Amino acid sequence: MQKYISEQNLNTLIDTLIAAGTRVVAPRMSAGIPLYEPLDSSAEMATDLLPRRSAKEAFFPVCEEIMSYEKEGQQIKLTDVDPARFPETVLVGVRPCDAAAIPVLDAVFSWDYKDEFFLERRRKTTVIGLACTTSDDACFCTAVGLSPVESRGSDLFLTPLEGGGYACETWSEKGEALITSNSALFSDLNGAAPMPLAAPQVDKIELNKVKAWLDEHFEDPLWDGIAVRCVGCGACAFVCPACHCFDIVDEGTEKAGKRRKSWDACGFWKFTHHASGHNPRDLQPKRYRNRIMHKFKYYDDKFGQTLCTGCGRCVRICPVGIDIAQIIEDISRKD
Amino acid sequence: MCDNTNQNIYLPYLATVEEIIDETPDVRTLRLVFQDEQVRDNFRFRAGQFGEYSAFGAGEATFCIASSPTRAGHIECSFRSVGRVTEELRRLEVGDSMGFRGPYGNSYPIEEFYGKNLVFIAGGIALPPLRTLIWNCLDLRDKFGEITIVYGARSESDLVYKRELQEWQERKDVRLVKAVDPGGNSPEWDGKVGFVPTILEETAPSAENTVALVCGPPIMIKFTLPVLEKLGFSDEQVYTTLENRMKCGLGKCGRCNVGNVYVCKDGPVFTAKQVKAMPLEY
Repeated sequence: MQKYISEQNLNTLIDTLIAAGTRVVAPRMSAGIPLYEPLDSSAEMATDLLPRRSAKEAFFPVCEEIMSYEKEGQQIKLTDVDPARFPETVLVGVRPCDAAAIPVLDAVFSWDYKDEFFLERRRKTTVIGLACTTSDDACFCTAVGLSPVESRGSDLFLTPLEGGGYACETWSEKGEALITSNSALFSDLNGAAPMPLAAPQVDKIELNKVKAWLDEHFEDPLWDGIAVRCVGCGACAFVCPACHCFDIVDEGTEKAGKRRKSWDACGFWKFTHHASGHNPRDLQPKRYRNRIMHKFKYYDDKFGQTLCTGCGRCVRICPVGIDIAQIIEDISRKD
Repeated sequence: MCDNTNQNIYLPYLATVEEIIDETPDVRTLRLVFQDEQVRDNFRFRAGQFGEYSAFGAGEATFCIASSPTRAGHIECSFRSVGRVTEELRRLEVGDSMGFRGPYGNSYPIEEFYGKNLVFIAGGIALPPLRTLIWNCLDLRDKFGEITIVYGARSESDLVYKRELQEWQERKDVRLVKAVDPGGNSPEWDGKVGFVPTILEETAPSAENTVALVCGPPIMIKFTLPVLEKLGFSDEQVYTTLENRMKCGLGKCGRCNVGNVYVCKDGPVFTAKQVKAMPLEY
């Protein structure tokens, strides 16, 4: 289904949803930083901003409680989290690179054991993607096979039109349901042309060639060459829409407290440090190698997907200028 | 609770500490009984599987289940106190509560061992992952051929499960070869003196129709595998367990991988052939 929605009606849709108790998450300024965050009103939405962190935290928060405990003498009482804490949510103005990462994350959180913290939020969320009309020199979605109009991961996909408003295409039943229940806000397309789309200045990288090289080069001087600069700050993992490694930690006293699941990063020394003192990834090059291997080989081996959508956030944020797009392009050109 | 049907896969079972055994000055065994009656009755695992043990307020630590699946009604874990969680677990007293998630991971293919001779080779604190299988096999004794156990530690006081070593030594249907490193023995020591690979070479078990199960520190494994090869064992006849730092145990948190192999899901039990195919990341 293809429909038209004006900017004003999109704002009305958002305010109607908020009034009905739905959590609406969209890019907004948050203490000087653009982030995907719950809106109090449509006026806060700033779709022209690229949020500093990805949209994954709508499903996989930076830190969340997974249970709590209370001790009374020798007895312990555990309290599960209340599933009601995962509200019905509509994510609006999601960048194609962020939306495309969501089905990639589905794979790891749903294989074998089901992580309901992720999956229940996923079920309760409708994703409205938005085509990009601008890009910067860190964007490389086109290098990893995606594009500024990629609709993967979106239930509804908006493309800005010349003269204002959006073409709105449905990609799932959830998307259709949202239009159907707010049909007065949508009309038929008026024939307006789409706005000129962003055009990241990078060529498609042959990811199969990258993988083929990685298959054979666990040991390679390349890793030392790249990672000699890496300071192991983990920022790349924290801004990444597809990184999903996490830690489980207790926070509290002997009497009571909470167990939390929080983002972690394979760039950290402690990530793989054994209690014995042994560390299989004791040096930064080994840790950076794991980052590249996980994204372009291991995840592919296991789930047939690439753990990178070319959002460019890690390139923008890296304090020492490590450019993952350049690295995989170089690898794709190796014999 | 923490099986595939549970909503919250991170929620542990509660268990009561039923017995505490000090194996060495810093290794302790806890015998745990699940508090929920249904869990107690229905809990099943296979030798080789592991769990996440909770000391609430400190967190979770990963160990194998050290008791045998043939001994129902409880599970046991043995651990050295080296970190925050294990220090807290060590503080627990009989009757105290703790948490357990599991069983996780693969297991020894024990049915494939029926009719074969078994050689267990362990060093130091690495006996627990084999002890589960040793008792499993001893409880099904007539299904196996000869059973040989080669176990060494740095010193006499570092040997774990001392009462069981005594029991295995006295049994006619088990050949126990126990050893301590040079300098680790008292004048009364009735075992061998030497390193595990050397003792194994002296013991010289036949490779014919035999499976070798090895568990120990990396340095012991490194020198033991060539000895097994010399004795005629192929890499498919040799099993070991790997361990890496883990958090979830469920193939999600992303830290225990050795190359593209998840120790928590694809392991922890591997053949020497599988281990040799992995990159050196364990």
